[in-house]
Amino acid sequence: MPAERKPGYDMPYYDWSPLPERPPLKWPNDARVALCVILSMDHYQWKPTNDFVNGGMPGSQPDWAYKAPESPGGVSGGGRPFPDVIGFSIREYGPRVGIFRVLKILDKYGITPTIAIDALTAENYPYVVRTLKERGCEFMAHGVAVNQLLTSKMTPDQERDYIRRSIDAVTQATGQAPKGWMGAEFGESAETAAILADEGVSYVCDWPNDDHPYPMNTPTGDLYSLPVNLTLVDLRSHWYGRIHVDTYAKMIMDSFDVVYREGADTGRMLVLNFQPWLMGTGFRSKYLDQALGHICRHGGIWKASAGEIVDYHRSLSATNA
Amino acid sequence: MLEPGLSPYAPIVDRPVVRWPNNARVALWVAPNVEYMDFIPAPNDGKGGFFRNVYSRTPPPDVASFANQDYGNRVCLWRMLEVFDHHKIRCTVSLNEAILEHFPETKQALIDRDYDYMSHGIYNNRFLNLLSEDEERAFFKDCVDTLYEHTGKKLKGMLTPAVSPSARTHDLMAEAGLIYNADWGHDDQPFPMKVRKGRLLSMPYNLDLNDGTYSRFGCTPEYWAQCVKDQFDVMYEEGAENARQVCVSLHPSVMGHPSRIKYLDEVLGYMMGHEGVWQTTADDMAQYYMDNYYDIMVAHLEKHEYN
Repeated sequence: MPAERKPGYDMPYYDWSPLPERPPLKWPNDARVALCVILSMDHYQWKPTNDFVNGGMPGSQPDWAYKAPESPGGVSGGGRPFPDVIGFSIREYGPRVGIFRVLKILDKYGITPTIAIDALTAENYPYVVRTLKERGCEFMAHGVAVNQLLTSKMTPDQERDYIRRSIDAVTQATGQAPKGWMGAEFGESAETAAILADEGVSYVCDWPNDDHPYPMNTPTGDLYSLPVNLTLVDLRSHWYGRIHVDTYAKMIMDSFDVVYREGADTGRMLVLNFQPWLMGTGFRSKYLDQALGHICRHGGIWKASAGEIVDYHRSLSATNA
Repeated sequence: MLEPGLSPYAPIVDRPVVRWPNNARVALWVAPNVEYMDFIPAPNDGKGGFFRNVYSRTPPPDVASFANQDYGNRVCLWRMLEVFDHHKIRCTVSLNEAILEHFPETKQALIDRDYDYMSHGIYNNRFLNLLSEDEERAFFKDCVDTLYEHTGKKLKGMLTPAVSPSARTHDLMAEAGLIYNADWGHDDQPFPMKVRKGRLLSMPYNLDLNDGTYSRFGCTPEYWAQCVKDQFDVMYEEGAENARQVCVSLHPSVMGHPSRIKYLDEVLGYMMGHEGVWQTTADDMAQYYMDNYYDIMVAHLEKHEYN
């Protein structure tokens, strides 16, 4: 439906709110920047499936199945048929090797990551889940698989099943219901925010539009948006965008410098999202280390999990209301 | 285990320690892809497999693409060989075996240097993963026989043509007597694969730090060299505790190009200038791992049941 030409958005999920118009935001201990690192643990299915609800046995691809065309692997411009071992195995590098190298770097800087984990990874890598749980990581639901996205091609029932399947897998694997949601490849339909809220999800990371968290408007539930910085997602700039990894690291450092400066007036945040299969490779890990090292040399940073940032902001809103 | 259940899982931080000969930190294998593709690929009419259209620029043939790749065979490979010789590198040639039949001087140059051959199939535009089991079995026989006939070497491993294994490829590799598959970019060490009979290793070829990928993505030669050196540095550091492998994956028409050759020289010199580097071939590394660590890792997997 085309937009009506009137103030505000042509969608219901949040209100127009330019940042300079807001009252100053105070983070705990007057921190200038809230820093959140989200690691995505994705599984790339050997073959796309039409039976994600029952555990992902292979089958023909249904018409609502969807994989981002730019996502590594899969049928390429040259017409590469499935199965696609390139797409599969580079993702598998994450739980085998990459995650541990990334954790070692995060340890150096005292950062506990928030984990966005898809259903197939949560179910099939108990060692990884246990390792992350022991470090006190918070887990977010993250769809079913990276080549099985949630999109508007699904019916509302399919979509709700997909969301429940994703949440249940994380609950089963970690023993705790996830509070947050980050869609695989940020996939959503126009209904997703409402369904997530209705399913009791506390916050969603699919709307990368702000340096602050903000409440969303949904018919039921109480949903917050925690925006990631999309340009600084490794997959976006470094992989899809082909920006050299040293330049990518510089972009993170430059971004930090700006929000740190701005954070003197009103608290800002830097929500970073990395794929361990990508930034956890040997040569890239050096640049991850460099970027986080630059950030963590500064005082006045609140290193927090996604849920902590959202809960804190929610408590401020409640106080001001 | 997740479909296809071919790669047993053990986190790299919780495995028995691997040590290379002489306690080397890093096994370094250099893999030039010596390739040939059909000038005009057969149509994908459902008969006789599935062909990769390497000519996305124009309908086949795209003579510029064909000839640029051929520049690799006619000119750039010879330039690369000088660099390899200079650094005393013994290569693992990722070989489209039709090369042995098409180009006798190339074959002789590789034989003279006692390189090892990781088969890369017969032609690089003929995918494996849509062949029938019988067709695929015949393909492996062809690869084993052709290599033996031309070089007297027993085929030990393969990077499938255009990296296109089916779920049964690994079983058929083991059945044909191969000991490794290089298709999986999932690890920094060799690792046992699951096959229905026999034994097979995954020998991770570098799909990611690949000169072909880099040139396609518009990366500069300096950047490629820096990335390879960075990769080596990290593997070298980690290899002090648990051995690592570094694969330098190359294409003559890319890193053998006059604009790039000095960077190949630079990175090989850099890596070979370190103590504790085992410059070897995928064949020898796989055999060493098979003889010394395969059983240990399989026992480790059985004991831990990671997934």
